[in-house]
Amino acid sequence: MSFFVGLLLYVVVVGILDAKLPWPRPRDPQRRP
Amino acid sequence: MIAGHFGLAAGVKAREPAVPLWALMLATQWLDVVFVPLYLTHVERIEVIGGGPPGYGNGIIHADDTHSLIGALVLSLAFALPAAWRWGRRAAAVLGAVVFSHWLLDLLVHRHDMPLLPGAPAGTPLFGFGLWRWPLVTAAVELALVLWGSVAYLRAAVATARAHDPARLRRARIAAGAVLVSGLLTLGLSVAGL
Repeated sequence: MSFFVGLLLYVVVVGILDAKLPWPRPRDPQRRP
Repeated sequence: MIAGHFGLAAGVKAREPAVPLWALMLATQWLDVVFVPLYLTHVERIEVIGGGPPGYGNGIIHADDTHSLIGALVLSLAFALPAAWRWGRRAAAVLGAVVFSHWLLDLLVHRHDMPLLPGAPAGTPLFGFGLWRWPLVTAAVELALVLWGSVAYLRAAVATARAHDPARLRRARIAAGAVLVSGLLTLGLSVAGL
């Protein structure tokens, strides 16, 4: 169960929260935080 | 090991901020994701040591295809190729490396059950340093990875928000909190044998 809970939390929940942050995009020229 | 893989991926996000976190999290568990259908169809299996109920690290894992060295390399490539098409070569290389990191971390904890070749042909070596023989030490290693990844992610997320959109600082802290809480919850469930 821990595997599926972890996958749901990290891939879906945290993934959505993370996607709302102003990270550079993969094909952007390199910039570090 | 489950939570430790997630912790490592969070740390990688801090170093490679352009790679989407969800993809890093999926990559770090890719070998186990592929293991699930093979387990359900009895192609791969877990042998519980002592015959009791399954618990934290008390199994010999016969994942002879997904967790063989060559199998892990093939699965890393299979994950990286579509990533290269979608996000470019650098992101693909990072994601492929994160997929393979699963094999390396598992090598530390598995009990001498990871083969070199898919199918574990007779006479070929098996690997695994067996840290699972000391569950508390293994849990401490996983906790250290979760804490390291969470702190690294927090620092990178806050720095990114501060530099590019200070209005999202609160969101950055919430996301980092979610990284930590998810890791602690996953580790807790794992150690409880759930």
